[in-house]
Amino acid sequence: MFLIEHHGKELLAPHGIPVPSGVFVTASGNLGHAPDGPLMIKAQVAAGGRGKAGGVLPAASRDEAARLIAGFDRAMLNGKTIHGFRIEQRVAFERETYVSLSIDAEAACLRLLVAAQGGVDVETQADTRSALTQPDQIENTARTLCDGLPPSVRNALIDVAPKLADLFQRYEALLLEVNPLFIRADGSWLIGDIKLVIDDNAIERQPAIHALLERHPDIYPESARKLTHGFDYVEVDPRGEIGLITTGAGLSMQLIDELKAQGRRPLNFCDIRSGQFRGDPARLIAVMRWIASRPSVRVALVNIFAGITDLAEFANLLVQAAQAVPELRVPIVARLIGRNLDQARQILASSGLTVTLEPDLDRAIALTLAALDGKDIRRG
Amino acid sequence: MDSTLFEPNVPVIIQGITGRAGRTHAQLMQRYGTNLVGGVVASASAARDPIGSIPVFGSCREAVARTAARASLIMVPPLNVLAAVEDALAGGIALLVAVTEGVPVHDALKIVQMARAHDAILIGPSTPGIAIPGRMKIGFLPDTALIPGPLGVVSKSGTLSYELCYRLAQRGIGQSLWIGGGGDPVKGARFGDLVPLFQQRAETRALLVIGEIGGSEEEDLADALIRARFSKPVFAILAGATAPEGVTMGHAGALIHGTRGTAASKTAALGAAGVRVHATMRDIVEDVAGTMAPAAAITQPVR
Repeated sequence: MFLIEHHGKELLAPHGIPVPSGVFVTASGNLGHAPDGPLMIKAQVAAGGRGKAGGVLPAASRDEAARLIAGFDRAMLNGKTIHGFRIEQRVAFERETYVSLSIDAEAACLRLLVAAQGGVDVETQADTRSALTQPDQIENTARTLCDGLPPSVRNALIDVAPKLADLFQRYEALLLEVNPLFIRADGSWLIGDIKLVIDDNAIERQPAIHALLERHPDIYPESARKLTHGFDYVEVDPRGEIGLITTGAGLSMQLIDELKAQGRRPLNFCDIRSGQFRGDPARLIAVMRWIASRPSVRVALVNIFAGITDLAEFANLLVQAAQAVPELRVPIVARLIGRNLDQARQILASSGLTVTLEPDLDRAIALTLAALDGKDIRRG
Repeated sequence: MDSTLFEPNVPVIIQGITGRAGRTHAQLMQRYGTNLVGGVVASASAARDPIGSIPVFGSCREAVARTAARASLIMVPPLNVLAAVEDALAGGIALLVAVTEGVPVHDALKIVQMARAHDAILIGPSTPGIAIPGRMKIGFLPDTALIPGPLGVVSKSGTLSYELCYRLAQRGIGQSLWIGGGGDPVKGARFGDLVPLFQQRAETRALLVIGEIGGSEEEDLADALIRARFSKPVFAILAGATAPEGVTMGHAGALIHGTRGTAASKTAALGAAGVRVHATMRDIVEDVAGTMAPAAAITQPVR
């Protein structure tokens, strides 16, 4: 779960991590309690590189901020939806620096990364320093790492690193990046921008993150869906033409890659986990509704490689789900392979649904593409 | 890495054997030929009735003392995996296969560190398991895709490995040892760690790698292959080349930030190590099938 900057700052501020005062406003909304004076307007998207993409603008006053937001004619930034804007007091600072904590998967510990000079070009700058560390070793690691940096930078980083590490642990973050960290003339520091990614698998035991998700399912649709439904569904192209009802993350990703390589537009990623249905069509119904809600979809492809799943049971659930979602009117190609395939074939054939069963995946893809091209793929 | 743990007769227990999945897979594994010697149920109040002929114990320590188990299949809920791993390591289990999906990363950090400190081999979390086809399996790799043959298989994705191995099995090409690594970012055995095992193994004549975007495991594999002077052909496919940045695609490990972990970076690294990287399932199957030239193609009935 990639938190938008505003939520990241709201999460940190109560823990004694200073951030510039600011408010969240929607693109159409009024400025509410926004501060006045020199301001920054920051588009709220779950992606980095906002500054370079034109998503961060200075404004001299509230009035100018309102004008700039009203005139902001883009709904997306770097391919991500703009959920609104954070209107923030502009900060007078002497230096900008960079600090991040991440998980080093290979070493199975934390990585602390600092750069003397923060800002939009930090990825390409030469003087970045990083070290592996443990949560209780952060301060020592920071001391060693910052050796030789200008004193104000060094002091700020040694002060901020353990505080950030506490929050990294507390919220079970995967990435916590502060860029820039503003350092004022008096040596005090505050968070200019933050990128915070929380582990979706920890949300169950993270009440604050859980509450955030419940308030903003629109901003975090993937994480909200996973929490509510227990499986993964990601819309990759809102104007996609192929709905995917598939089990397995790797195979679903691979299908998307191969369909795109052929110039086709899959709507979604889906790892429905058919092994966890336990006789309930709820997950199938949910996916069919999401797919049906996109009028651009013209065919649905089901792919179930059943290791253990009984295909007869799956076919029954597929029929029940399709009957519960009559608004999904597109032809369905069902690639099923595994136990009780013949029974599944009979169940689908006698269901009255427009389902074409094909056990071979390449042929199922070919049928899907034929259906897109308007061909009648039903079999006798 | 102790290669005797990857032999057909290794004695195995299941942690979480009394759960729905535990019971099912105990039977399926036993039927497949796995030397399943026991099960463990952690809850003090749970019944310890045997599952079929399989005795059930209250801890791994007890199970190991009574059965000489060396390997454990961990089938407990995500938030209980950390405790199950502690139990297994305290009991002296040397090979841990954790199939549970959705283990929090901060738990996984502790799990991996503990396994390393005990010099144990951890596969997963989030693995479908391992198999020596025709002899044994620990986990639930599907029988329809398992046939004995020359391929070593390592994979981040269960289903994509099922699909490819099934297609290859149809062409008469099976596997000598199949290790599902799982799609989690923080995991036990990584691709690179397994290189010496496959290098040593005479039955393995080529390696099939099913990778994914995110992390650096494929890049590290490339380094490990070069370091080991790996002498067998290696084939790879990388899922998620077109996945959007910053969004988790089912597997927590499949997450890209900036240019790190992209398919392009992995393809370049693997290519430089002599790996034949393919973009489509059809291409990799054709290349493997063409290179491995089976004695005769067989057609397996679909079960």
